[in-house]
Amino acid sequence: MKPLNFLALILFVAGLVWVFTLSEKSVRHIQRSYYSAISPLISKGSETEAFANKFLEEVEHSADLEKQIEQVIEERDRFKLIAGRVRELEAENNQLRNALDFKKKTQFDVVAARVIRKQPQMWGKTIEIDRGTDDGFEADPEFDLCVLASNGGLVGRLQLSGEQISSVLLITDEISQVSAEVEGTSEVGIIVGRQTTFGQTPRLRLRYLSKTAILQKGMKVYTDGRGNLFPPNIPIGTIEDFEVGPVYGEAEIKPAVDFTNLKNVFVITESPGD
Amino acid sequence: MLLYSISLIGLLLLSCIVQQFLPSVSSWYDARFLILPLIVLCGSVTVSTGIMLILAYLGGFLWDAQQILSVTQGDPFVYQNSPDSLKFGYSVVLYTLMGFLMQGIRPIFREGKWYLSAILAGVAIFLYLFVEYLLRGFVGGGFHKNDGMIQQIWASSVLTMLLSPLIFWILFRVADLCGHTIRYKK
Repeated sequence: MKPLNFLALILFVAGLVWVFTLSEKSVRHIQRSYYSAISPLISKGSETEAFANKFLEEVEHSADLEKQIEQVIEERDRFKLIAGRVRELEAENNQLRNALDFKKKTQFDVVAARVIRKQPQMWGKTIEIDRGTDDGFEADPEFDLCVLASNGGLVGRLQLSGEQISSVLLITDEISQVSAEVEGTSEVGIIVGRQTTFGQTPRLRLRYLSKTAILQKGMKVYTDGRGNLFPPNIPIGTIEDFEVGPVYGEAEIKPAVDFTNLKNVFVITESPGD
Repeated sequence: MLLYSISLIGLLLLSCIVQQFLPSVSSWYDARFLILPLIVLCGSVTVSTGIMLILAYLGGFLWDAQQILSVTQGDPFVYQNSPDSLKFGYSVVLYTLMGFLMQGIRPIFREGKWYLSAILAGVAIFLYLFVEYLLRGFVGGGFHKNDGMIQQIWASSVLTMLLSPLIFWILFRVADLCGHTIRYKK
């Protein structure tokens, strides 16, 4: 073996030992530093992604668009388009009104944020929002800030923050855990995400329920505030199905939040203990 | 050689920036261009084993800094079973294995048959993502066959492979500028 290759091998093995013995705190420190360094680029990158997706969508539907152009000549279809636009504006108006109402009504101190990118990574279920340390999201190793949707449902928690951008880990990710209770019962458990892919509706599992639990479809599930991660009484979803396993009961949960159409979120700027 | 190796590391860092601007193709299984692993793979075939190890280490480290999810653990009394996820640094090992795979066809590459390396880069990306998918299932304690995920993996591999001629072209240009020979002269 050449001396230089041998030296590289020694360095490689030493580096490998170092990286595998890093503490959780050190890993988070490395990731925060990396995220802070690239965060200005992520904002620009998200704009590129939005533009590219819009372009691809237009290309994909170009044949349909041609047909539509012919139809638009006809007066009746013109009215249809106008009516469609009105409905769109109405929906947008409702969404913004809900957001405004939520901010007024909520018991928490919240900061509104816009979702600028969905699932930027291959595997992890995260979103990126246009708020960061400049908006008071201080990096605290003891707790992660909680993120809600405009309907008050739990979205996830802040994972990393740059100056004007933050990454939010969704509750639908497999490593996410939320302590939860079923409304009207004494049943408590832990909500975990399930592996889904593009186009699939995200689902959650409520684990560690008692085998004798009497749960019905449609029962609501809320955070219970245990474990110092999330404030209590935040809606998570509704029960779809309940199965009894060898040790525990487990329920399938339909999330309260529509993750596929998530456009605005609210970050609770206080810790669960405050 | 030294100048070329430093340039390669520079390219690797640059790919971290470029990666942020490469959108996923939502209309085709949400496929992604994975430029950072591609730089490691294409670069591996143009350098000696020692430099390949350094390249794989840096690539894996940067990839994990970007991809690994880590969250604050709650009260262990409530959250008794902490979620199992892949450990920071596992990509270093996978990148190194891929690097050795690419080095295996280095003699053919040095004869000027770069297109075989380009195809192998696509195969290596697929293997890398597939192994990562299996590892995630294994560590998470529950492997579920997921057709959507397999489609996303092969679509991402194909997309990334299509970029490899461009990467090789860049590497040849950089090598020329650095006076480094990455294939036998005819």
